[in-house]
Amino acid sequence: MASISTKVGNFSIENPVILASGILDETSGSILRSLRSGAGAVVTKSIGISERAGYPTPVISEVKTGLLNAVGLPNPGIDNFVEEYKDFPEKKRTVVSIFGGSVEEFVTLSRRVEAAGFDKVELNLSCPHVQGVGSEVGQDVDLVEEIINEIKRRTNLQIWSKLTPNVTDIVSLAKASEKADALVLINTIRAIGVEIYSRKFALSNVVGGYSGPGIKPVALRAVYDVYKETGKDIVGVGGITTWEDAIEFFLLGARAIQVGTAFLYDDYRIYSDIKDGINKYLDSEGFSKLEDIVGVMVNNAARKGD
Amino acid sequence: MLHAKVISIKRDNKDVFTLVFDSKISAEPGQFIMIWVPGGKEIPMSLSSTSNPLAITFRTFGETTRTLATLKPGDRIFFRGPYGNSYPKPTGKVAYVGGGTGLASLNSMILKYDGDVFAGARTKDDLFLIRDEYKVATDDGSLGFKGTVVDLFVPHLSEYNYVFVCGPEPMVKSLIDRIDKKAKAKIFFSLERLMKCGVGICDSCSINGIRVCKDGTIFELQEVLKMTEFGVSRRTESGKIEFFANAKR
Repeated sequence: MASISTKVGNFSIENPVILASGILDETSGSILRSLRSGAGAVVTKSIGISERAGYPTPVISEVKTGLLNAVGLPNPGIDNFVEEYKDFPEKKRTVVSIFGGSVEEFVTLSRRVEAAGFDKVELNLSCPHVQGVGSEVGQDVDLVEEIINEIKRRTNLQIWSKLTPNVTDIVSLAKASEKADALVLINTIRAIGVEIYSRKFALSNVVGGYSGPGIKPVALRAVYDVYKETGKDIVGVGGITTWEDAIEFFLLGARAIQVGTAFLYDDYRIYSDIKDGINKYLDSEGFSKLEDIVGVMVNNAARKGD
Repeated sequence: MLHAKVISIKRDNKDVFTLVFDSKISAEPGQFIMIWVPGGKEIPMSLSSTSNPLAITFRTFGETTRTLATLKPGDRIFFRGPYGNSYPKPTGKVAYVGGGTGLASLNSMILKYDGDVFAGARTKDDLFLIRDEYKVATDDGSLGFKGTVVDLFVPHLSEYNYVFVCGPEPMVKSLIDRIDKKAKAKIFFSLERLMKCGVGICDSCSINGIRVCKDGTIFELQEVLKMTEFGVSRRTESGKIEFFANAKR
């Protein structure tokens, strides 16, 4: 049987299927359930400096090709988060997603996360529907660079930089994330849902983020462009609901993938379904390890140097 | 999002209403819908009838339910679902134990399978969907047994093969704490938690990693006994842990 272990930055993961931030990761109990159900790693719901209730319902709306959401970054705040995870047994397989409105906030959160015993953060530079944080910060190339450089300078954390696709040029954001250990591509796409019989918006916040099968080609394009231009370690996310989807991301340069909206269709079986599929594919196509297919469809500077 | 016409709306007591609506969806007893007031909030609500026509029974406690209470026959309701699992089909002697608005969810079963109904409320004015043959408990003794529905039911547990329970978490917790865990009856609980998505992805309603909306809402006794957070703590809208008053931590 082929090996499906992978490495993102210096994080060695037993398998490449990771729970994406924002889905079933508000409570430590559910995070453990994902890890016990076969996730290689998990990313928490994004944590900020202070407690936020999020937006009023409706916060999700299903569409034919996926899901719209504007949950509004609900989170208990860093103090309550640290308290809940005091004795958490899986800190090394848990990536803590953080969001902030300034360099200082990101640094403060990172230091708290590190002091709590975690060694990886994912920077939410891309939440598309909350003012003053997320993609409003994440669209500013200089700010992204400064946030990452400062966290690197002041902590020993591994940094995953999750980028917004809601920009003209995602490659420049990727280049601004040069000091990050990995790039996570992509967050949701800004979108709106309309209910025609009430003539009202489907989400209380009007604008939300679009995820699910419909955004997969957009995510693949982002992974391709960024891998080609930077050769950096990439975690692919966006519309992955089957093992075939996952393979597509690996071929374009992703070293691991994240799943979220897929829970709507496959629930907790998603981890074993994708892992089994990858294994069979590698065996039947004659590859001995996952690494052998990463980026094989892309000629980039990094690969040319192999 | 689905929509349906209101057939009738009836006031069951001072603040509980039953709204009957015309929908082709097929639902099983115990399932719930996410009902939406356009321009306002979306909330989970148990179906109090899953046979045609469908119905919901609710207490007015916030803006959404107060708005629903003002609807007239012919008006539209908007919803998605049904969601969640359903009560299993019982055999032998059946009991239903409802507190708070728990009787709304149980009513969908009572309409299908005969059994003894134990209903509890603070006072007789808080009772609803009550029939003469029901065994009633009120905190103030204004009707039936004086005490809680748990006090009323627990001594009778051994008489039943199937028991279905729905009510506020502290009531369910006190029932579980007081019953013989080895009783012959199969006991099922419909649990209530804060829900935002209703489809098992937002994690708001999870208890020890078990989602009330998707893994439940109905759980057998042994499953609830494994939930160490049950009756002890829950999540606020931010995801912060909040302890129940009087809970043993």
